[in-house]
Amino acid sequence: MSELKQLVLGRKDVQDLDQEQALPNELMTVNMGPSHPAMHGTVRIVLTVDGERIVASDVHPGYLHRCFEKESESATYTQIFPYTDRLNYVSPMNNNVGYAMAVEKLLGITKEIPRRAEYVRVIVSEVSRITDHLTCVGASAMELGAFTPFLYFLKCREWLYILLEEVSGARLTHSYVRVGGVSKDLPEGWLDRLFARLDEIKVVIVEVEDMLNNNKIFRDRMADIGKFSKEDAIAYGLTGPIARACGVDYDVRKDYPYSIYPEVEFDVPLGTTGDCFDRYLVRIEEIKQSIRILHQCAKQLPDGPVIIDDPRVALPDKRGTYNTIESMIRHFKHIVDGIKVPCGEGYTFVEGGNGELGFFIVADATGRPYKCYCRSPSFVHLASAGKTMHGHLIADIVPIFGMINMIGGECDK
Amino acid sequence: MSEPVPTVTPTVTLTIDGREVTVPKGTNVLEAARKLGIDVSAFCYHPGLSIAACCRQCLVSVEKSPKLQPSCQQSCGDGMVVRTTDAQSTLARKQMLEFTLLNHPIDCPICDKAGECTLQKLYFEHNAEDSRVDVPKVEKPKVVDLGPTVVLDAERCILCSRCIRVCDEVAGEHELEFSNRGDHQILGTAPGASLKNPYSVNTVDVCPVGALTAKDFRFTMRAWELDMTPSVCNGCATGCNMEVHHKNERAWRLVPRHNAEVNKYWMCDEGRLTYHELRADRIAVPMVGGLPSTWNRALDTAARKLAPLLADPAQVAIVFSAQASNEENFALAKLAAAWKVTNLFVAAAAPVPERADDILRDADVNANTAGVRAIVGEVQPLAKLEAAINTGAVRGLVVLGHDLPLGEAAAARLGKLEALVVLAWRELGPAAAGGVTLPVAAWAEIAGTITNRQGFVQRMHPAFPPPGQAIAGWEAITRLASATGAKVPWTHARAVFEDMVAAVPAFGGASWGREARPLQLRFAYSRG
Repeated sequence: MSELKQLVLGRKDVQDLDQEQALPNELMTVNMGPSHPAMHGTVRIVLTVDGERIVASDVHPGYLHRCFEKESESATYTQIFPYTDRLNYVSPMNNNVGYAMAVEKLLGITKEIPRRAEYVRVIVSEVSRITDHLTCVGASAMELGAFTPFLYFLKCREWLYILLEEVSGARLTHSYVRVGGVSKDLPEGWLDRLFARLDEIKVVIVEVEDMLNNNKIFRDRMADIGKFSKEDAIAYGLTGPIARACGVDYDVRKDYPYSIYPEVEFDVPLGTTGDCFDRYLVRIEEIKQSIRILHQCAKQLPDGPVIIDDPRVALPDKRGTYNTIESMIRHFKHIVDGIKVPCGEGYTFVEGGNGELGFFIVADATGRPYKCYCRSPSFVHLASAGKTMHGHLIADIVPIFGMINMIGGECDK
Repeated sequence: MSEPVPTVTPTVTLTIDGREVTVPKGTNVLEAARKLGIDVSAFCYHPGLSIAACCRQCLVSVEKSPKLQPSCQQSCGDGMVVRTTDAQSTLARKQMLEFTLLNHPIDCPICDKAGECTLQKLYFEHNAEDSRVDVPKVEKPKVVDLGPTVVLDAERCILCSRCIRVCDEVAGEHELEFSNRGDHQILGTAPGASLKNPYSVNTVDVCPVGALTAKDFRFTMRAWELDMTPSVCNGCATGCNMEVHHKNERAWRLVPRHNAEVNKYWMCDEGRLTYHELRADRIAVPMVGGLPSTWNRALDTAARKLAPLLADPAQVAIVFSAQASNEENFALAKLAAAWKVTNLFVAAAAPVPERADDILRDADVNANTAGVRAIVGEVQPLAKLEAAINTGAVRGLVVLGHDLPLGEAAAARLGKLEALVVLAWRELGPAAAGGVTLPVAAWAEIAGTITNRQGFVQRMHPAFPPPGQAIAGWEAITRLASATGAKVPWTHARAVFEDMVAAVPAFGGASWGREARPLQLRFAYSRG
């Protein structure tokens, strides 16, 4: 079986060359990216290749550097939400939530967030996680020639984006979460529309699984490619789907539960080999688990306010702002000076689309952070890319890179 | 032969919020708390004014005292135990704020004070809760012209009386007064008076809300969008310490900065307006013969014209400026020494005796008279230069600054001199005479020092870059020097300063100090 597979890939030939020294064994340096369709536009890899096979690779991130951390130092705590949207721009809600939790921790109001706000946060986060995985799987399949799943998944993603747009007002850059809750409640009948779409998406997932799981080309391009051992995954600090594909049983939602995750049931899928195919399977299963979480959230969603009732944290309503001096001052101070966060430093982390997404904030009692560091999973994962590629063919970079799901905005920050 | 008795200021030790602090006897509790970093809220208290204790915003609990005490009026006693964060005083201060806001108009979006308003700041710090009152607010006059500089919005006024005390105690003119009572109490000018003392805009600075606004700054720029750079006023020899508030590479207002030795908390109205000249008649590029040129061409022209004259330095005169910084004058003195020119003069604007008072304003309207005197020493009177120009004894002239008071005949001959090199930032006087004019940075744009009438060497910081191709004056002088083959070798204002301190005895011991970069007022919480 293994013999046959290598023949199909043409690897037999390479091995023969290697063993028999039929051609002069001269290494060549090839530049891949940053302007390369499979490099997602923003990464450059300097490859040292022996024929078709990669001997060494040097990954150069930074082409999408936006100074997220430095910019944050001159923006109020609330003004940073739009910056976080642009981290992992495929799942902005997760970033919003992670950042808000960090500020709330410093303010000491983590326990006071209204229950409904917590549920709404989880709902939008899980929808975002689904969009993230749909994009990753769809795009990777497309890069391997399977265009149909891409179109199917992107269509599904668009349905969810439209729903998130209904919630937040923006299709991609939601800026929906606020310190102390969320900016506004879910629209009327939104959950019904969401579940109608999720039912359709379930069908699409089955269709795509039928198309991909036993597809010979897809399996050959994914299975045994980019294998990573459990020990290496831990050593490299991998988290999220790609760590779980390696068998690392780590999901922030389970291991360091936050928000209302302890109140919902879901399973954490684990892989065995850590290859690209496992990473794909884990992501598909996580979509299903997210849908499971969403159903439970909808059932348990309590009534009540969606933002904390603390005048120093939450904006006043517009009615008060225009009609009373108290709310006017409060509004003014929020917008111009920002929420005053007491001196201190704190780190919070959530399960983002790609893994552990952390924010470390140092506050100096002013309205803006003294330092706002982001532990972006993509950046950590990219460090493993070089090792993962070794020994593979140039063509294998495409699925490896696709399954790492490097998002430029998050990696380069 | 008795030993001198050391004067010991009696001190008292008290406890504030569980922390002990020792202060000189007579200090009030509010200041003692500030010493500990505890900022008790206050409206009417100002460290530079007498104590009125009329806003009741600084109430604190004092042990063994049945009632809350205004901490600004309560002087510290030995063993006193003060609490500022207990429920009683916190509630009292919060309720005082609720009263203060009862009749306050919803003006923040159109108020000039928004962003640096004490009322906004204190309200937000005191829990920012909503109003419980639903009766209409008392209406008062919105635009009251108090005088040539200040406008009053009576509705915004919280009746703290700081402005009245500023007029009484700083300017010594009783021009403002309260009339009526209760919520009809209103600020206005005293009978027969209008707010026209030369320190009137200080009332705007001390106003904790937007009741008093300066006509000069009103509706021009959002206070919270400004950057602040510390500097020194160049309006007269007093050298009041002030802040340049700037944005978009221009100054929008000057605000006094506390210096107990020079100007305390105050500044005169005339000084505040000096920033306007930063944008009037400015020179942005070198000029030759009245036409815009380039640095290279202007320096070449200057060197070509000066070279034959410098063979006999007696034909050349150099004019220093009592309005330019010490560094510029010192660099020019170095250049004079390198050229061996001994015809040295100092240009200074004529004194204005009627503006002098015992408070801050000085008759000498040159900012750096003391500094230039220390650097150049005794010089010949300008009349001698005038005569030399008229007789043709001086054929080349290098002038620092645009203010060169000469008689008509001499001024008319300036352009006909064989060489006229002017280093100036405004196209006036000699800078407009048609010689070679080199654009230099103005006082708000340089790192440098000036020496005030008391002999204090005070540091100015660059708030924004000079316009166009203008550069710092000392740097322009080094360029002029190297164009003529002389060596005046500096690359930084600090190096000029340090050489100057070493060379001029009057500057002995002066230090350059720390560099100050513009500070965003929005996040500095330095005002309000």
